[in-house]
Amino acid sequence: MKEGQPTVLPGFGLTLGFTTFFLSAVVLLPLAALVLLAASTPLHQLLDTVASPRALASYRLSFGGALLAACINLVFGFIIAWTLARYEFPARRLMDAMIDMPFALPTAVSGIALTAVFSANGWLGRYLAEIGIHVAYTRFGVILAMTLIGMPFAVRTVQPALLEVQRDLEDAAQTLGAGRFYVFRRVVVPAVLPAILTGFTLAFARALGEYGSVIFISGNLPMKTEITPLLIVIHLEEFDYRGAAALGFVMLAASFVILLAINLLQAWGRERLVRRSA
Amino acid sequence: MSITLDQLTKRYQGVPVVNDVSLEIGDGEFFVLLGPSGSGKSTLLRAIAGLSGLDHGRIALHGRDVTHVSARRRGVGLVFQNYALFRHMTVAENIEFALRVRRMRAAERRQRRQELLRLVALEGLDERLPGQLSGGQQQRVAVARALAHKPEVLLLDEPFGALDAKIREGLRRTIREVQRELGITTILVTHDQEEAFAMADRIGVMNFGRLLETGSPQNLYTHPATRFVATFLGAANLLLARQGIDDTRWGAWPTAPHGAGMPREREVVAVVRPEEIEVARSREALLSASYLGHGIVEEVVFNGALERARIRLDEAPDAPILAHASGDGGVLLEATRAQFEQRAFAITPGQSVTVGVRRAHILPTPLSSFTICAPNSSAAERLAGNPFLLDLSTRMKTRIRRYVEPMLGGSMPIRATPASLPGTTVIAAAGDVTSEAKWLLEHGVEEILILPEHASAPQRVLIHWTEDSARKATLAMSASVLRHLAAEAIYVDVLPEETLAPERSSGIRALLDARSEARASHGLEIRTEMRFGVAAQALEQRLDESPGQMLIVGIADTSQLAGEFGSLLAKPRWPVLLVHREREAPAHSRSAA
Repeated sequence: MKEGQPTVLPGFGLTLGFTTFFLSAVVLLPLAALVLLAASTPLHQLLDTVASPRALASYRLSFGGALLAACINLVFGFIIAWTLARYEFPARRLMDAMIDMPFALPTAVSGIALTAVFSANGWLGRYLAEIGIHVAYTRFGVILAMTLIGMPFAVRTVQPALLEVQRDLEDAAQTLGAGRFYVFRRVVVPAVLPAILTGFTLAFARALGEYGSVIFISGNLPMKTEITPLLIVIHLEEFDYRGAAALGFVMLAASFVILLAINLLQAWGRERLVRRSA
Repeated sequence: MSITLDQLTKRYQGVPVVNDVSLEIGDGEFFVLLGPSGSGKSTLLRAIAGLSGLDHGRIALHGRDVTHVSARRRGVGLVFQNYALFRHMTVAENIEFALRVRRMRAAERRQRRQELLRLVALEGLDERLPGQLSGGQQQRVAVARALAHKPEVLLLDEPFGALDAKIREGLRRTIREVQRELGITTILVTHDQEEAFAMADRIGVMNFGRLLETGSPQNLYTHPATRFVATFLGAANLLLARQGIDDTRWGAWPTAPHGAGMPREREVVAVVRPEEIEVARSREALLSASYLGHGIVEEVVFNGALERARIRLDEAPDAPILAHASGDGGVLLEATRAQFEQRAFAITPGQSVTVGVRRAHILPTPLSSFTICAPNSSAAERLAGNPFLLDLSTRMKTRIRRYVEPMLGGSMPIRATPASLPGTTVIAAAGDVTSEAKWLLEHGVEEILILPEHASAPQRVLIHWTEDSARKATLAMSASVLRHLAAEAIYVDVLPEETLAPERSSGIRALLDARSEARASHGLEIRTEMRFGVAAQALEQRLDESPGQMLIVGIADTSQLAGEFGSLLAKPRWPVLLVHREREAPAHSRSAA
């Protein structure tokens, strides 16, 4: 920041101070406590907890499920955002408002609702069960819940970006001889790619941390449909704070690495644009 | 012909935004579509590019009918106001886009790209991103990109809109040079008349979705046919004048009835460009032939090469009348004076001067102004508030006069000296319309607009004439009215019920003749319909089919009013414009063109 250049908010020093304080008090300090708690555990005991077969299975489900849910949201979130941004139809505003519902609902309510619909005697689950598809109390159900929770993030990040892509760009590409798919691939997607990646990241992070709705529909069978956040709660209920902290530390570390990787990827993409033109 | 447009119509929610536009553009021509925003010029351009569909009409490029060919296969290059460059691609990738789509080899692409960059004077910027270029440079890239695939036609949609004046100038020159070098047929859309003058071989002026006039910049400026073109292309003083058989006079319409021996005059609209107004010390010092009057200089603005003055004329019986009613009723003229005029006679605000006209151009329109005719002043007042009339007079920038005639519609005998009213007479579609109209026609009025109380601007105008003698006048009147409305025009021909095949084909001939006459004489595109039965009944049926219609009907005989058209006029649901021309035209009758 240039010195002496007036900005809307007073003083660079003051704002940086607030930033540091907030990050410390709200994010860094609790996380540090978690790390300390985990670190004070003897190593073999720590490994027993975080590398137990049950824990490993829960990691697979939590990370794999969140990744899959984020991928589903990537595709369908884009389609929903496209529909809302590009077309004018009678129920558009209603649909637009409905997107945010998973934001507002207590997650437990989503879990109960999903269970009511997809359990073996639920509205839809009944018919799905007949053709051999079981949703409730399976990994499928876990992914479904994670998808539901992450969907608004995917839609809400892509939608404004799509609104910003001028129709003129598509028209220009068409007059230059490009077909629809070519226009989509080479003009529309590149223009909204940063937003798509952000939406993906947010949906992934949200799905990973989700607890309330998943535990209702998953059935929580150890080794099968048990997610890591639940395992942590189980440790807590047994007053095994160290074990819970250790698992929490693993989740924390893993999600930090993943989010950092995606952020770096985005930064690299932006840089590539600038560097190529230098 | 490079581009042939044939009766293009595009409606949006029932309103035609492009209204029956026909146009031919020659090889290598630089054509400018000029019009205010919302006049339909951009929609027309998008339709030519294939980006927006049409409701009616055909488009041919170099003789190939492309009406149903998609945008990507039309072979046009389009440049947008906001550049529409692909921001994630470099200049090189932007320009090569069309070539890449066509799977051209990299080496050829590079060669073509370098050619194009040289053409638009942007060599060496290949690897920049659009975000790193200035607005003018970005638009140059857009032009190069649009030319990459060697399109047959180049379309430019307000390409200078987002640029400042200095850069505009340079880019204009570049585009004109590129266009000449490649000999590519080009259409440029703009709302800026200065830009149109600077670039065009030929200009087409659009308003309300209609292509009003086309012509060379010089011709449109000096000889406009419509008041819209006269005022849109540069500044103009619009004055009402009285045209006799061999002279044109300024001044108010005589209030006294015409004497029997007096020659008949008709009211016309004269266009006086500000630079055609001469300002002098006295009447003797005036060099120009036509004397306008004395006045006071109200304002003088100096802007470099020219000086702009506003002069208020003193009230006098022979003072000219502004075509549009001004708030204070006075006549305020706009004049521009070159340096040599300023040196010869310097003027300052408050100074008393004499004003003359070097050259005035009489518009060929028969629609000069409106005169409301009513039996009492309250009826006249009511009619003056009619939404359609207000709308029309505002769009025409013309005045509405009021004339109270207690005798109107009465069974009173015709007075000895028939009074003629200036412009188009307007009466209310209430009471005994038939006898009122008949009374007026017999008193020398030739055009009557009959308005129902809550008439609003129509979306469709039906045109019909009962006798050939009224054909020319009816078409001229229709053309004038339609220039000010966003409405479709349909000529309806009515043949008797039991018409045999040979007579039917002559009916079709008549339809085609009407269409080509409208196009040739008035630049008006009309559509045609054939109906069977009795004329008045068939028209009434057609009018009943949907709301928002208006009828323009030419008659030769006042007895037709009470007879055939009696029932049609008795039900005041649509605006009706009556045009009356006697069968044997007397020697001094008005020319209808």
